[in-house]
Amino acid sequence: MTTINIISLNKSYPNRPEPVLKDFSLSIQDGEMVALLGPSGMGKSTLLKLITGIERPDSGDIQFDGSSILGIDPNKRGAVLMFQKSYLFPFLNVEDNIGFGLKVQGASSETIRAEVKRMLNLIGLPGIERRKPGQLSGGEGQRVALARALVTNPKLLLLDEPLSSLDTSVRMNLQEAIRNIQHELGVTTIFVTHDLGEAMAMSDRMALLLNGEIVALDKPENLFHRPRSLTAAKFMGVSTFLNGDQLKVQCDVAEGSSEKIFAIRPEHIRVQKESCKNSMQGVVSDCVFRGEYIEYQVDVNDATVRARMPMPAPMFPHGEQVHVKFPKEYLFEVECP
Amino acid sequence: MKRIITPLFRFTLYLVLIAPLLLFTAYAFSTRWFFPQPFPVEWTTVTFQRAIHDSRTLSSMVQGIWIAILVSVLSLMLALPAARVLGLRKFRGRQLAWLLLFLPTIIPPLAIGMGLNILFLRIGLAGTITGVVLAHIIPTLPYTIFTLSSAFARFDENYEFQALALGANPWQIFLKVTLRMMTPSLVVATLFAFLISWSQYLLTLLIGGGQIITLPILLFSAASGGNPSIIATLSLLFVAPPVLVIAFTARSLGQHGNEIREQY
Repeated sequence: MTTINIISLNKSYPNRPEPVLKDFSLSIQDGEMVALLGPSGMGKSTLLKLITGIERPDSGDIQFDGSSILGIDPNKRGAVLMFQKSYLFPFLNVEDNIGFGLKVQGASSETIRAEVKRMLNLIGLPGIERRKPGQLSGGEGQRVALARALVTNPKLLLLDEPLSSLDTSVRMNLQEAIRNIQHELGVTTIFVTHDLGEAMAMSDRMALLLNGEIVALDKPENLFHRPRSLTAAKFMGVSTFLNGDQLKVQCDVAEGSSEKIFAIRPEHIRVQKESCKNSMQGVVSDCVFRGEYIEYQVDVNDATVRARMPMPAPMFPHGEQVHVKFPKEYLFEVECP
Repeated sequence: MKRIITPLFRFTLYLVLIAPLLLFTAYAFSTRWFFPQPFPVEWTTVTFQRAIHDSRTLSSMVQGIWIAILVSVLSLMLALPAARVLGLRKFRGRQLAWLLLFLPTIIPPLAIGMGLNILFLRIGLAGTITGVVLAHIIPTLPYTIFTLSSAFARFDENYEFQALALGANPWQIFLKVTLRMMTPSLVVATLFAFLISWSQYLLTLLIGGGQIITLPILLFSAASGGNPSIIATLSLLFVAPPVLVIAFTARSLGQHGNEIREQY
């Protein structure tokens, strides 16, 4: 339906010294879901406001299917929003809420009724037309909000942390529902979140956003296993970084260079009693039992190694001498700015 | 103990509110009711009928209602944008804006009225309905602004952004979303404006200059005349419109609370 091109977008606010978005560019394929992941206050919501036209960028361009939308009125852009709160109009029932977009665009009442019915089936809540928003649960409210956004057949769906106020079980449920509906309708989607798991579960591609810039953009699995930069790796939950000097003592993987920095995911590190190839000696400085896994913190050669051992795993108390094994195939080099 | 005190308190409250009305009714529908008699001996509708059939009474009521309606509408139109900015935005000079808008409640109406009278005499508004309506807006505006701005302070603009993204134009957003969300508070604000204008004596007298006669003006002149039956009749007529207005808006007043609860 729509490809989105965001080109060198800049935006700053008078009361903030740092720009919120710096030379921000992003291309989204037709029907793709891209997650924007980053801590709050990093320009994610600002980007959505610029796309919907609530705010104007200082410079740069936003294009839908190759033509700029900056000159188009916000209500004619075809970019719909879904927030953390459902923002269903409290004075309208579910049917009128979902039909709102069609009604203001002048659709006939038969069309509206039929479309509302179709959307209610799609979100899995048929027959709740007459209910008021106050009578819906949090999850139902968000489903109805999704239906209201999608009924207008939008070019772009913008999701601004739509699940962060829901309970875990409802959230899992809705993640799947949103993903399925998005696939079925093939609507291009930008999904803003600060939850790594949610971003990975739902998106085709993920953009890591920090200080108004994209630090990494790739498929979730690529970013997870092989983040290229130190910042991206930290974002993705990698917490063990060793330079060449610290690694080469007993490992043959890091040939030479002391400037290079190597990283490894916590799940790939083995903590064991006996020494072996590619292992280094260290002292356990922390050990936390998490149920499904044990979290170790081991001091090795002036560096701290954080490992996550799936159960069943041996428990080593604080101060114990252990060997930490770095499987060669899981070590990767990261760029350090 | 509480079981006795609560009904007692309620009874006293009703008594305080209703007793004067009962007394007015007794005076209005009786004649020659003198001191030692505990209740009127002779009941009659003569005074009441005379008062009602007096063309001045009816015209003063109609004029008063018209003025009150005009004042309410204009006051809302002026208050809505001001209240929105005061309720939703933070800006430099916000405190000063509040102070200026609330000044009419602090400055004695007599001072305003005298000054306005001179001004209106010069520009030809003295003694006209327009002049009186404009003068009435001064004491009503602080109340309408205050009521609406506290409603806007609770208002979440994201509702409007939703409507915008769904394709509504600015007018549709204003009519279908903003006004609908604000309806209960708008009713309350209108009520304030209506009641303040309806019971306004001083400004009507000063600006109207005896040419614009509303019920409070008739009532005051009757009060100095000293016929208790006429005073009572006019007083009853004076309370009637506010009571009716409140009776019809009571539902809205209740909803005001409910909708706030629904939103959060």
